[in-house]
Amino acid sequence: MKYFFFHLMSWPHLPPNFEQTHDSAWIWAPNSLYDPVKGHDLYREYINTLAYADELGFDGVCVNEHHQNAYGLMPSPNVIAGALTQRTKNCKIAVIGNALPLYNPPLRVAEEFAMLDVMSGGRLITGMVIGGGPEYFSYQIEPTTARERFREALDLIVKAWTTPGPFEWHSKHYYFRYVNPWPTPMQKPHPPIWIPGVGSLETIEFVAQRRYAYMGVPYFHIDIFRRVFGQFREACQKAGYEAHPEQMGWGVPIYVAETDKQAREEFEPAFWYFIKNLMKGIGTTPPGYTSAKSAAAILKNQQYFLYQQKTWADIENGVFAIVGSPETVRQKLQRYQKELGVGVVLTGCQTGTLSHELARKSMELLAREVLPKIKC
Amino acid sequence: MLNILKKLHYGARVLLSRGGGQPETVEIASRPTVITHGGEGEPFVYLHSALGESMLWLPFHQAFARKFKVYSPLHPGFGRSGGFDQISDIEDMAFHYIDMLDALGLEQVCLGGVSLGGWIAAEIAVRWPERVRKLWIADAPGLWVEGASLGDLFRLMQDREELRKMLFHDPHSAMATMVIKDHVDESTMLNAYQAMTVLARMIWTRPYDPKLASRLRRIACPTLLLWGEHDRLVPPAFGEAYQKHIPGAELKLIKDCGHLPMFEKELEFVEAITRFCAG
Repeated sequence: MKYFFFHLMSWPHLPPNFEQTHDSAWIWAPNSLYDPVKGHDLYREYINTLAYADELGFDGVCVNEHHQNAYGLMPSPNVIAGALTQRTKNCKIAVIGNALPLYNPPLRVAEEFAMLDVMSGGRLITGMVIGGGPEYFSYQIEPTTARERFREALDLIVKAWTTPGPFEWHSKHYYFRYVNPWPTPMQKPHPPIWIPGVGSLETIEFVAQRRYAYMGVPYFHIDIFRRVFGQFREACQKAGYEAHPEQMGWGVPIYVAETDKQAREEFEPAFWYFIKNLMKGIGTTPPGYTSAKSAAAILKNQQYFLYQQKTWADIENGVFAIVGSPETVRQKLQRYQKELGVGVVLTGCQTGTLSHELARKSMELLAREVLPKIKC
Repeated sequence: MLNILKKLHYGARVLLSRGGGQPETVEIASRPTVITHGGEGEPFVYLHSALGESMLWLPFHQAFARKFKVYSPLHPGFGRSGGFDQISDIEDMAFHYIDMLDALGLEQVCLGGVSLGGWIAAEIAVRWPERVRKLWIADAPGLWVEGASLGDLFRLMQDREELRKMLFHDPHSAMATMVIKDHVDESTMLNAYQAMTVLARMIWTRPYDPKLASRLRRIACPTLLLWGEHDRLVPPAFGEAYQKHIPGAELKLIKDCGHLPMFEKELEFVEAITRFCAG
């Protein structure tokens, strides 16, 4: 069982009435609300927190990519990962991921991931994503061919890592006379590939066929994860093999404090800040980004998404987060990770306004009081 | 109450005009294309907006069919028209329609369209000016016009009220609430999503063709530019820009009208185009 510590690097300083005065924390949320002086402190402390996860013995740390928003301040997760290669010693560094259709040329991803793999001494896990709907607004990337370009770019990157260059590349959306990236990755044949997914069968089957790992993006009801990992195991069987547990990752925020009551008191306000403010607009999706059928399914499944939850009971019943004393968290985590059959848990806690001190206290309790006592 | 009567009235006219247009599916360079046609006379091709209004044969189609032999095709990706996988930009749309004229044996036509359709008409006319006898363009994007941004449909598409405000001069009119309903069934929603997908492929990366302005001088036929005076999606400044680049083009503004003159000012719309094309 592997435990990764996830950070979004959220912006905690939105004005108190943001939810009433702004329709979105994404794309067009005015960047006059950003303050680089406060931003400097945040990056330093967020990176300290991730480095601390390594000290505490987490198996890995995770960063990801979002643009023009207050939800996650890593337009380039590779920059943060670069810092982490120097600040961590043992843990994996999972960049989950780079949104391939946003990179032109996508060879940039092959190069930067190879750099990170070499700099970290082979500790990189590479996430390849299509990118969320808002990114297509922020980067003005044509959405109706996003999936085609994602697949082509992924094939190009893997080939660039595994086939000695230079070679010529031609596909519907990309042409290169000389593919020949320096450096090449340290891990052979290439670093592990993780693909985050939000439950579409198309992605599940693709990841299973390629024998990559499927990371269930957090913020969905536990029933969605039950279905997703069941479908993933089936898809692997269809592809002729049994899914390895470490091919399946479950994203879930976890917050631990001395008692159940204290945990909820410390965590809940920060989490609602995240839900009410930072998730506002996260579902902005350009037409053609998914098929019409998937778009309709997404609309129907809204009630399973964290943004639609209204009460703490909703959060607890749907297991949108695991919050409590070390014993409560141990019981729940053990039960659900076993039930889902996953070999990787991606946990974060510093979403929204949670202070650095409380985040680190929760991580300590999780690493020292909870994880060692979980029976797999 | 008055609005309800107006809606009933339009509904009755839609029913009456239904006998007028016959939909057929024609293979255009291996793209199955739905073409509704009706009337007798000179060939007249109507290219629809991203609303996909040519999924139906509407009273304004029928009105054109009193004077002309009207062809009203559905663009690839709309309704049952296929072949969208072969269309990657506005130029492909232009080639699709020259293929259509060839397939139908139409040497020269009166050509025009509203919004997206008008832009496609312009792209056809600059490439094959000899195939266009008369050209009309209504409320169409396609150019970069300094200081006059297009409205952002993609931002507003979920908000029916804002959408009506953007598309209609009078967003509370019977017509506005009939064209942009408050509640839509799933099939209408899927159609709308598909329509917006086609539009996204045409305009997402750039909502104009950077080469079009310098090519417009090639248009050889009489050209009518027809614009809703209060078009908030594609403001009349776009009409002025087309006029600047097309030799001898006439620009006509329709009073109290927004982006969709075929709905909001049907009478003026049909009259202006009929007079222009018949003359």
